[in-house]
Amino acid sequence: MNRAESIKLANQWFSEQGWKPFKFQKDTWKNYLQNKNGLLNAPTGSGKTYALWVPIVLEYIKKNPDYKTKHKKGLKAIWITPLRALSVEIEQSARRFAEEKGTQLTVGIRTGDTSQKERAAQKRMMPDLLITTPESLQLLLASKNYDKTFKDLNAIVIDEWHELLGTKRGVQVELGLSRLKTISKKLKIWGISATIGNLQQAREVLLGPTSEAFKNSELIRADLDKKISVRSIIPEKMEKFPWRGHLGLHLIAEVVPIINNSKTTLIFTNTRSQCELWFQKLMEKYPEFAGDVAMHHGSINKETRLWVEQAIRNESLKAVVCTSSLDLGVDFAPVETIIQIGGPKGVARFIQRAGRSGHQPGKESVIYFLPTHAIELIEAAALQKAVNKTVVEDRIPYLLSFDVLVQYLTTLAVSNGFFPAEIFPEIKNTFCFQGITEDEWIWVLNFITKGSQSLQAYDEYKKVEIEEDGKFKVNDRGVAMRHRLQIGTIVSDAVLTVKYMKGGFIGSIEEWFISKLKPGDVFTFAGRNLELVRIKNMQVIVKSSKSKTSRVPSWQGGRMAFSAQMSELLREEMYEAAAFMDENPESVTLLNGKKSKSSAPELKALKPIFKRQLKESIIPKSEDFLIETFKTREGYHAIFYPFEGRFVHEALGSLLAYRISLLLPISFTLAFNDYGFELLSDQEIDMQQVLDNNLFSSEFLMDDLYKSLNATEMARRKFRDIAVIAGMVFTGYPNKLIKTKHLQSNSQLLFSVFRDYEADNLLFQQAFRETFEHQLEEGRLRLALERISHQNIIWKACKKPTPFSFPIITDRLREKLSSEKVEDRIRKMLKSLEK
Amino acid sequence: MLEKIQLANQHFVLHPSGAMLWEEQQMLLISDVHLGKISHFRKFGSAVPYKAIAENFIRLTEISEYFSPKTICFMGDLFHSSLNAEWDLFADWVANIDASIVLVAGNHDIISELKYEALGIKIFSEITHSKILLTHHPEEREAYYNICGHLHPGFKLRGVGRQVVKLRCFYRNKKQLIMPAFGEFTGNFWISPKEGDSIYAITKKEVILVH
Repeated sequence: MNRAESIKLANQWFSEQGWKPFKFQKDTWKNYLQNKNGLLNAPTGSGKTYALWVPIVLEYIKKNPDYKTKHKKGLKAIWITPLRALSVEIEQSARRFAEEKGTQLTVGIRTGDTSQKERAAQKRMMPDLLITTPESLQLLLASKNYDKTFKDLNAIVIDEWHELLGTKRGVQVELGLSRLKTISKKLKIWGISATIGNLQQAREVLLGPTSEAFKNSELIRADLDKKISVRSIIPEKMEKFPWRGHLGLHLIAEVVPIINNSKTTLIFTNTRSQCELWFQKLMEKYPEFAGDVAMHHGSINKETRLWVEQAIRNESLKAVVCTSSLDLGVDFAPVETIIQIGGPKGVARFIQRAGRSGHQPGKESVIYFLPTHAIELIEAAALQKAVNKTVVEDRIPYLLSFDVLVQYLTTLAVSNGFFPAEIFPEIKNTFCFQGITEDEWIWVLNFITKGSQSLQAYDEYKKVEIEEDGKFKVNDRGVAMRHRLQIGTIVSDAVLTVKYMKGGFIGSIEEWFISKLKPGDVFTFAGRNLELVRIKNMQVIVKSSKSKTSRVPSWQGGRMAFSAQMSELLREEMYEAAAFMDENPESVTLLNGKKSKSSAPELKALKPIFKRQLKESIIPKSEDFLIETFKTREGYHAIFYPFEGRFVHEALGSLLAYRISLLLPISFTLAFNDYGFELLSDQEIDMQQVLDNNLFSSEFLMDDLYKSLNATEMARRKFRDIAVIAGMVFTGYPNKLIKTKHLQSNSQLLFSVFRDYEADNLLFQQAFRETFEHQLEEGRLRLALERISHQNIIWKACKKPTPFSFPIITDRLREKLSSEKVEDRIRKMLKSLEK
Repeated sequence: MLEKIQLANQHFVLHPSGAMLWEEQQMLLISDVHLGKISHFRKFGSAVPYKAIAENFIRLTEISEYFSPKTICFMGDLFHSSLNAEWDLFADWVANIDASIVLVAGNHDIISELKYEALGIKIFSEITHSKILLTHHPEEREAYYNICGHLHPGFKLRGVGRQVVKLRCFYRNKKQLIMPAFGEFTGNFWISPKEGDSIYAITKKEVILVH
């Protein structure tokens, strides 16, 4: 059978379904069958699964002409998905095509949810297509004779690659692929990615920048022209709209008609606690929605999640309040409308969410933006422009993640063992480790075998051993078991399962929240009010409560930040607002003959807020850099407004605080958001001195920034993940009763010990490097400082907090920086308490 | 800078290291050193810096030279876990100390009594003298004032400008004085003191009454 005949088989099947293959699907089939690798850029719900699953089956048919009667067993293809929730959907699609084409190919899933029994069965005989997660792939590499399992692998598909790129799970995939390239001789590697700014780089990272695989690869774009309509929900009475907050519940009434007018609506919240609260309030205020509205987030048990997903598909729900748990995969045809509550912080994410609606060809996606506080309306206007211009962010891949490398090498040592001379070239060919030096490689090998760089007397460090033939191997069963349990780069707190007294699993919850409660306390979880009965054996035992008041767990989701592109749009919006207020100080109607682009309804609605802002301060124009200072009960506030996005503000804020702290002994707490940052102190900051000393200078930038990082806690937080991934912090045995107490420590403690005794440790230094590369983004910072150097600094000494300052000064998550002696600080604090 | 206090009519000197001297007995009290913790982690594959091990012994030597006590009393959790190579370092340290050494055993102290006896260290479950009761776990007993450890007390001092300073501390209430952990690489339990309780915070240099 030649290629044309193969493709005919696929076309046939498509027309039997009443479908017509898209061009991108046909292109992918052709390239795959030409033995190429590649990256497919296609959005969720576009038929991307069939773009790659079809040629995998066709290849099998071609090689096995008697495929209808005979079954050649063994693993042929792996499908990697970042979310295990997506695996069922993929399994169904895959099975459908394989069966209807009359093959005997089997499809299996292996994730954290897979039972022990099924795993064992898979170990005896792998399915032909295995759907799995990056972590489970690593676990396969951690089992004996993995090379035999992967010997006849033809294809590996990395689905939703954009979600993995820019994370350490992505690095895990890169390393896994580097091994598979050697042991599976006929391997083809394909990625599937939604639209991001750096698609070409995404392909390079996936395949390895200098690899043969990369040379023989294609980037295929689906180019499905999808119309997205963005609408802002604008409060009728702006005067009553809060200046700060992140819940958005005051606009709950506006959501009701939207739900009623649409077949199915997905309501996206940014955190799980917000999701819980929205669901609870909807039920409380609109009891008629009972049974028609459901909730979906990552901590709810799997059965409920699957039920909700199924109910969306068969149109039995009007609305679902959800988190990023419904961002990906799963095609929900009946969804007509999306509501985004609060800033999505990224254009790509916003577009992705919008794309969950209006799946029928020709239909447009409809997304409403519901602002949670006044200034967010500016964000709404900026988002609209971003969508129109398809300004999408890059996902920045990690470089030299030694923590993941340490984990990976231990994984190989746990299963078959490895020889460094064989593995080093594989690693050197990945994107992440293309820059690794011989010295760094030796450092890593020493680290996993000796726990340090030189042998110590009295030392009993035990992990990887070097056998007589030079093979690196883990021989201790305890080490191997702990390592397998630790595999995974998503770091989370210890998680406890929540169960009813009478039995019945409700979900899982982070330990730190539960540890704040006593028996008898009531909390809201999975939409129910539950009373804590007791905590036993990693289980939280609860019973239903009728109590009206309860605490809502706030899950610690990552704080997202505006990208450079989004920040620029936001600044433009702000400048327009300034122009708009200049031209229309009193009335909204445009004056005759004057041109104003500010027809955005969001800006009009914000007029009362702008007026209030102008009372004490200004709305900065493109040539202005605004600084506001004022005093409250809390101390002396200084707010700076670069409008550069949270990450740049973290860097700028730390830098400035550090430079001021060199002028005099002073202590700050720092707060940041996407608009600006605040330095708060118990003593007044001499702003004139700050300006006179040119503290925004980009001279000695890196040096000062590095020192300010040492002074704040930012790197310390990064170190937490690194310590867990590299196996230095043992997080315990999930749901097991084995005592690990003597091995518990926290990464904070570990950070201090490294700082004091082993500051040259590569893993310790990685915490700082990651802060630079992934958080502070040196390049953006330089551009921002450059821009500021051309602006006029406008310092407003205000009497009261301004509307712009409000969301920042009320933020409670703060950095600290101090150049005072701790004894002096204590005395000062004691003095202020006496007052 | 030291702090002197009286408990049950006995005199005590609080030291910034977290140790404290019972003047009448010339007894130096040291709690929760957790020796062997770093070695224990390393033995289980967690590469905590080896160099940190020496620091505990350096500080122990400094404090015993500073007070030159008759007796050194470890208030429990002297060793973090089962026997490991750090025991030999400890034995070397004991050999160079003039004071007699006793241990009030704590929950972590699972190493055989015989090993301690071989170094001339006596183990007690508690010590009572002059209305003072020394234990590892906090205890309340009629007619006695309890000095203990176990909790690793720490205190968060708050100030203007949302500032917080975290400190290890001696925590004193009507019935007990709970000592801070002496050891490197040990965590803290944050105390919320009641009316009438005292908190003596320790910095690297000073002991300061903060509550």
